[in-house]
This record gives sequence, C-alpha cells and structure tokens, in this order.
Amino acid sequence: MKLLMQPIEMIAWFTQEGIPNPLRYKLTSDGTASIVVKVDRIVTRSEEKIAGNRMILFRCQSEMNGLLKLYELKYELNTCKWYLYKA
Amino acid sequence: MTQRTIFHIDVNSAYLSWEAAHRLQHGDSLDLRTVPSVVGGDPTTRHGIVLAKSIPTKKYGIKTGETLYSARTKCPELVIAPPNYLLYQRCSTTMKEILEQYSPLIQQYSIDEYFLDYTNMNKLLGDPIEVATQIKDRIKHELGFTVNIGISTNKLLAKMACELEKPDKVHTLFPKEVPVKMWPLPIEDLFFVGRATSKKLHSRNITTIGQLATSDPHWLRLFLKSPGLLIWNYANGQDDSLVRTTRNIVKGMGNSTTIPFDVEDRQTAHLVLLSLVETVSMRLRQANVCAQLVSVSLRTSEFLSYSHQRKIPTPVDCTNQIHETVCELFDELWTGKGIRHLGVSVSELCKNDFIQLTLFTKNFEKQRAIDQTVDQLRLRFGSHAVIRSSFLNSGLKALTGGVIQDEDYPMMSSIL
Repeated sequence: MKLLMQPIEMIAWFTQEGIPNPLRYKLTSDGTASIVVKVDRIVTRSEEKIAGNRMILFRCQSEMNGLLKLYELKYELNTCKWYLYKA
Repeated sequence: MTQRTIFHIDVNSAYLSWEAAHRLQHGDSLDLRTVPSVVGGDPTTRHGIVLAKSIPTKKYGIKTGETLYSARTKCPELVIAPPNYLLYQRCSTTMKEILEQYSPLIQQYSIDEYFLDYTNMNKLLGDPIEVATQIKDRIKHELGFTVNIGISTNKLLAKMACELEKPDKVHTLFPKEVPVKMWPLPIEDLFFVGRATSKKLHSRNITTIGQLATSDPHWLRLFLKSPGLLIWNYANGQDDSLVRTTRNIVKGMGNSTTIPFDVEDRQTAHLVLLSLVETVSMRLRQANVCAQLVSVSLRTSEFLSYSHQRKIPTPVDCTNQIHETVCELFDELWTGKGIRHLGVSVSELCKNDFIQLTLFTKNFEKQRAIDQTVDQLRLRFGSHAVIRSSFLNSGLKALTGGVIQDEDYPMMSSIL
C-alpha cells in the first residue's frame, strides 16, 4: 500500500456510543475527475494519538472493477476531517 | 521519612520531535529527526533564531539560539519548520495524561519537562527503573516522540540524570553514583551554572563539577554570594525541593516583542507599548492583583539594551493608567535611535481587593469598569473582538506578547 493522506468527502454513520462507521466516500483527483467508493467492509478499527492528536484509523475493503481492494481511512477527531491514508 | 524516588521526564529536542511526529501523522514521508532540521521563527519579521534542532545538525555545529541565516550558511540543505505553540501545548498535556497513571504527584516544570514523585509507588507498580522504561516506551509508541527519564532521590539529581545521554534513555543518578557519573562533567553542565558563574569559576581554576563539590563552600560564598552555597549543594547532589502540583507564586509579569521594523518615531513606539500594556494589564486583572512598580525595556537596532522603572504610589491594574506611566518612562529613556525590541513589565504585586488610595491621584474608577467590560468581551468572543481604534490602519497588532493568545504557557524557570 502507498501512503496518500488525501482529504476525502465522506458519508458515515455514528453509533450511540459515538463510534464513526464510514459508508461511502468521494475521491477527487486533480480537481477534475472524481470517483465514489462504497465501503464494503471495515476490517479493523484502531485509535492513535501521535503528537497528542487523536485519529481513528480504519482498515477497509471495497470491490472496485471486479477486484477486492484493501485500503486505510483516517478520521481526525480534532478537525472532523476524513483522509484516504493508504491505498 | 523513607528515601524519595523522583523521576524527571524530558522530551528529546521537544519542539522538533513534536513537529516531526505531527508531520508523520499527516502523511509526510520525511521524518525531520533523521535529517538536519531546525524549528525557527520567521526571518522576515526578525524572529529568525533556532528554537530547537535535530540531532543530525550536531555535526554542522548549529546551536540553539543562533540566527537562521548563520545556521543556513553552515548547512545549506537545512530544513526549517515554523513554530506551532498550540501543538506543543497539546503534546505536553497528552504526555501528562500518561504520567498521571503512574503517580498523583506531578509537576510541570516547563512545556517539555515534568517531575514525577514515585516515592512508595513501587509497592503498587513495581521497580522504578522498569516502570520508567515502560513510561518511556509507552510515550514513544502512543505519542510518537522519545523522552529521557532520569531517576534519583531528589529533583536536582533526577534532572541531572536526564541530561546524561540522549535520546530515548532511562538513567539513574543516586547519591552513591554522583562521584562517578556527575563529578567528571564540566561545570557548565550543572543546573544553575550559567555563563557568568562558569566564567568566575573558570578564572579560579574550577572546571568540573567534582572540583566544585570538593571546594570550600565559605570560599565560594566570598565571590558568588549565596548562590555559591546553592551550587555547592547542587554539586554534592543535595536538594530538598518538593514536587509541587501548584505553580510558584507570581512575583512579577511582563511581555515584550521584537518589532518587524525599526521604530523611529515616538507615536509608533507609544502604540507598540500600548499593545504590550493591553496584554500585561489583562494578565494582572486575571490574576486578581495590582502592581506597584512599572518598568520599560528597549533594545535599539544596534542591539544596545536600556531599561527604566518607577514606583507608583497607588497599586494599579488599569490599562490606561499603566500606559501613562509607561509612556513617561519611555520618553525619559529614549534617545531617538531606531528601536528593535520593546518590553513592559510590572512587579511588587499585591491583592486587588483592598487598595490604599492617595488624595491627589486621578480617579480611574470609570476606566477600570471599562477594562472589566473589555476583558469579558475578549474572553467570550476572542482576544481581537474589541480593539482600540488607534490601531486601525497602523499595521501594528492591537495586542502583543505571549506565545499563545489567552493561554497560560509554561516557560523555563531556574527554580526547581
């Protein structure tokens, strides 16, 4: 997997305990073409607080063009931003 | 009383490590700690000095406090990162959260240093060295930066132990280890010995901590006065200060600023002073104290420093009243040369609940009421919610001083 850390637009649902679950995100590359990816499965969820900054790390998988792809998403609690971390 | 166990926790090249960890978390592929890099201010506003440096800068001879210009001539490929004080504050608090799981007695000594009293905690958590290693590793894995931990029986020795070898190490310096581990070190490495003291000691042929420790304390007192006894005690590893959870009592407060351009006229200088008085007096009122002594300091573009102070008959905390005195002092002090740096400080503080007035001073009651209103507005809507119209279109900041607006930032101190 390659490190990308690209900001993305996200639709997610939150449990009553406040745990976010990513559903679908839009990836815009070079400001022109964009693709929408549906998150098929969340494999693992972990939390990190590097440099005191809390982030939730999701390892997910989706089917893209008939291939099963594994990638990582990050949610920054401080700014409420979502990133495509590794793909 | 049983012997105490004190930990001193110090972040390795703090500002730089925190910046590096923050960048790595945000997807930067380069770890700043592995290349020659520094954290430094903005040279265009004349704040261009090295605040922190990475370990690879050592071989280029870059020192903390030198100008970015000279650092860049020593190493052209040097990476320079701007300071981010909010990040430092956040890293420091998160680190404290981890430390709080190991002892209820923690003292924040500066933004990147903590003292932790581990006395008797071994009955609950185990051997101090093992626990210190565990703390060090947890900080490294959870927060992404490395620390040094010094263990000893008092704060001074714990702090000295922390300085022994860096980075990412746990050191002990118990009293019995002092002659072996501390005495061979040069005198400059001892806490409290600065440039002036080390010069005096060198001229008397004292070059190592061991030589200082074995010399006669009465002889030291002759030329160093009472600090001589203090450093003699420190050299022998003696210190009885406690790990305090409350801050020291504030004896004075002040703010200063380096102005991005040379100030040539009186009016601009008065405005800069006003912006400093705004923050200083706000801090006074927040602490519920009044000041009886006001002083002004300035540095010219030729790097000559001057200062002037005056006692005020009635204790003050009112912005306008302090500014009036400050301007008088400045006018007496200034010779007309270009000004690079201005500072305002106040001391001889007293409580503001009872003030002895004099018969012939102006009545500032109304001014104090408006100060209070402005403070409340700034607290609720941000420090720049209300500014004085004299700053409009002046190109100057309406409030200056302090590293983070509205926040209490722990500075370095020489008191353990």
